[in-house]
Amino acid sequence: MKPDTHQPLLDSGFWRAVVVMAVISAVLMYIVVVYPIDRAFLPEASVVSIPIDNLFKFSMFFSVPILVYVNGFIIYFAFRYRRRPEEPIDAVGSPIHDHPALETTWTIVPSVLMIVLAVLSYFIIPMYYPTEQAAKSDVTMEAIGHKFYFEFRYPGLKQSVMNEMHLPIGVPVTLDITSYEETLDVKTGPVLHSFWVPEFRLKQDMIPGMVVPIHFTPREIGTFRIVCAEFCGLGHSHMWGKVVVESKTDFDKWYAGQQTQAAAPEAAKPISLAGGDASAGQTLFNAKCTACHNAAPFSQTKVGPGLADLFDDPQHPNLVTGKKATPANVADILEHGAHGSYGTMPNMHANGLTDKDVANLVAYLQTLHK
Amino acid sequence: MSVTNVGHPASSHIHPPPDTFIKKYVFSLDHKVIAVQYFITGGLFFVLAGLLAELMRVQLMGPNNHVLSISTYNQAYSVHGSAMVWLVIIPLLTGGFGNLVMPLQIGARDVAFPWLNMISFWLFPPAGILLFASFLYGAPQAGWTEYPPFSVQASFGTSMWCMAIFLIGVSATITGLNFLVTIVKMRAPGMTWTRTPLFVWATGVTAFLSMIATANLSAALAGLFIQREFGVPFYDVSRGGAPVLWQHVFWFYSHPAVYIMILPAFGIVSEVIPTFVRRPIFGYKAIAYSSATIGLLSFMVWAHHMFTSGLQHWEQFAFMVLTMLIAVPTGIKIFSWVASLWGGKIRLDSPLLFVFGFLSTFTFGGVTGILLASVPVDVHEHASYFVVAHLHYVLFGGSMFGIFAGIYYWWPKMTGRLLDERLGKWHFWSMFVAFNATFLPMHWIGLHGMPRRVATYDPIYTSTNEFVSISAFVLGLSMLLFAYNALRSAKNGEIAGPNPWGGRTLEWMIPSPAPYYNFKEIPIVLSGPYDYGKPLPYANVDQELATVPVH
Repeated sequence: MKPDTHQPLLDSGFWRAVVVMAVISAVLMYIVVVYPIDRAFLPEASVVSIPIDNLFKFSMFFSVPILVYVNGFIIYFAFRYRRRPEEPIDAVGSPIHDHPALETTWTIVPSVLMIVLAVLSYFIIPMYYPTEQAAKSDVTMEAIGHKFYFEFRYPGLKQSVMNEMHLPIGVPVTLDITSYEETLDVKTGPVLHSFWVPEFRLKQDMIPGMVVPIHFTPREIGTFRIVCAEFCGLGHSHMWGKVVVESKTDFDKWYAGQQTQAAAPEAAKPISLAGGDASAGQTLFNAKCTACHNAAPFSQTKVGPGLADLFDDPQHPNLVTGKKATPANVADILEHGAHGSYGTMPNMHANGLTDKDVANLVAYLQTLHK
Repeated sequence: MSVTNVGHPASSHIHPPPDTFIKKYVFSLDHKVIAVQYFITGGLFFVLAGLLAELMRVQLMGPNNHVLSISTYNQAYSVHGSAMVWLVIIPLLTGGFGNLVMPLQIGARDVAFPWLNMISFWLFPPAGILLFASFLYGAPQAGWTEYPPFSVQASFGTSMWCMAIFLIGVSATITGLNFLVTIVKMRAPGMTWTRTPLFVWATGVTAFLSMIATANLSAALAGLFIQREFGVPFYDVSRGGAPVLWQHVFWFYSHPAVYIMILPAFGIVSEVIPTFVRRPIFGYKAIAYSSATIGLLSFMVWAHHMFTSGLQHWEQFAFMVLTMLIAVPTGIKIFSWVASLWGGKIRLDSPLLFVFGFLSTFTFGGVTGILLASVPVDVHEHASYFVVAHLHYVLFGGSMFGIFAGIYYWWPKMTGRLLDERLGKWHFWSMFVAFNATFLPMHWIGLHGMPRRVATYDPIYTSTNEFVSISAFVLGLSMLLFAYNALRSAKNGEIAGPNPWGGRTLEWMIPSPAPYYNFKEIPIVLSGPYDYGKPLPYANVDQELATVPVH
């Protein structure tokens, strides 16, 4: 079967298809860079998120023609060059094996694109790691991953802040990132976590034994999410935190409040549980405790056990501290925290609880039935 | 060009056939029977790992579901990933297609070491049983990558995982050695490198990767096992070890592993296209040499999985550049395949449809891979559902669509019967649409902050997850179409004859299914295999065998 060599190499049908695909590409390229995709991105809440988003849009911009033309030519050739029923079943196609000029072009053009992408990326990488200069002028603080919460240490604050990092807008920060547990034994000690703030476009793994600094400047006021992005155990799915970016005034107020809390003397006697408000306790429970506990029977473990019928069930197992489940012993855990097989229950300071909050929570737990 | 005798002279005689049931079907030394054993076992694990995925999607239909406990969900995705990589894709592509097709395409009677081939297969079922039995002792929970320190702290199932993957690693290493020697030493007389079919090129590079890279995985696994069971502190910070050590050694294997999982699929695509387009593959040399280049470069990009692991900035930059570099030979292949469609006489049969599905989805996955190659972009997208989307586009869209293309293509050669073409088209279209519906939205929620390896999520992602889950159920159902097709064909499918597709590579020059000795006389190769329109470039084969496609 002699192949048909009289076919013109590229005919008007081919070029028409090229033009159609060019139009489709142009429309899609506009969409991914200008509108509406652009509006649908997450807020660009850190200064470096803008060049990162631009780099992403640049890459998407050039990906579009590649995708349109690859898919487009498959569809066009599949229709244009399908064997028609009237042609013999063993009809053969063009014998053309290669085309050096075409192949060179489609080697060089992607290579150039890759080089450009690499160069643009090269200039952005140092923007979110502290340079020597930035390290000197930035405010430096620590973010430490635990099972299963984020601990933040501020300069000038004696106590740590848990899960809710407050930052003043426009102030560059160097965040030293690591992972830590009180016990360093490999079987119960620290694991990997990852500090990811999607709205900042920043992520750094929290690695035991390593301290890795990142650098950023918040540029939008608001509350943004911290997500643990490295599997760390049963609590990984719920390991969420918040970054609250606020005005300098609001931040100073918050900071001062933290200092006052730290300065308050340790309660010499156990917290009084009298007059606890169960409904206030319920609000607090839903806000702070449901990350790890269910308002459900003991067996419904999330990270820690379910807390329904805590005091009413005579068969209820002892608390994680080994003591019987009584209001006073539960208040003790709320006050001092506890370490269990599934993770660490933060203490009241870590959880941002006052004495009254502890009383309210215990009152609520006394009303929690399945 | 003078005929070059590269064939092994001893292969020109035919051994007597195996006589007992055990020798024929259990401990067979015949590469074709071993291939079927790999296909059946790999197919079984595909079903099991797929069911795990469907379970996962039921849990993720809504936030805070209690279908699976958190621990069970974690075990599900970890075994799902481990099984798909080590018990499905690698065995099907290497043990399955490599065994079935490669010796036939080079005109050999079998592989270089048939007994080792048999051992390679028989390491596979125990490895799989060990992996799934880990559920009884608390299966691993940290994904198929099992990073320490968590994997050191996890229950005994993680040690079973170490043993299982170690076993399958031995199998893969042996197969790599076997195939490489076979391809280098046992090509038929006259089959120079530039006359070698592209699937053989692909299998050769894959064999090289399997042989060299897998040992690193074994080292990492041994370290993890020895630390877990005997306390040697490889990954223990408190005694001088480092968790990041695991990541380096693991990924030094696992990046070549993803090329092990895609190169044979590339080879399948390079075979199916010329046959169903009835013209030479465009850019044969470019495709062959780019396979070798990809193989070499695959060893130099591993740390792009570790951009957020505290690497030095120059390390991040170097791995970024090398990763972008490896995109170039991959792009060359894709463009060459598309150009191979130009000017053809195309028959839109199922094998070619699956190739089109491959080209569409793999290109998309390749593009998101380039996005991820850039360090600043990866810092945001690493360990999010964007990566889950990317990996499924290249591994499911790439490898699995390639595997199905190969199954539809070589099913007649393996069984002597045809699969039903209408069912094949229904299977393709339902799988293609459901696949995209399942994995395309994941890019979106990944960019919007949903991490991977979580049993629940922020309620803002609910509607997307619902849609993804329903699409995943449809995707699972689409496989039933194939299962029904296969059973129907095995029972009373149309007899295929030696060459139902009108192919020109050597496997189509012998009856279907092939006799145990493959070739009555070792063929002599006079030219490349893809020159449709010219006479068959072989001597010593039955030129009367039909080279006209049946439909």
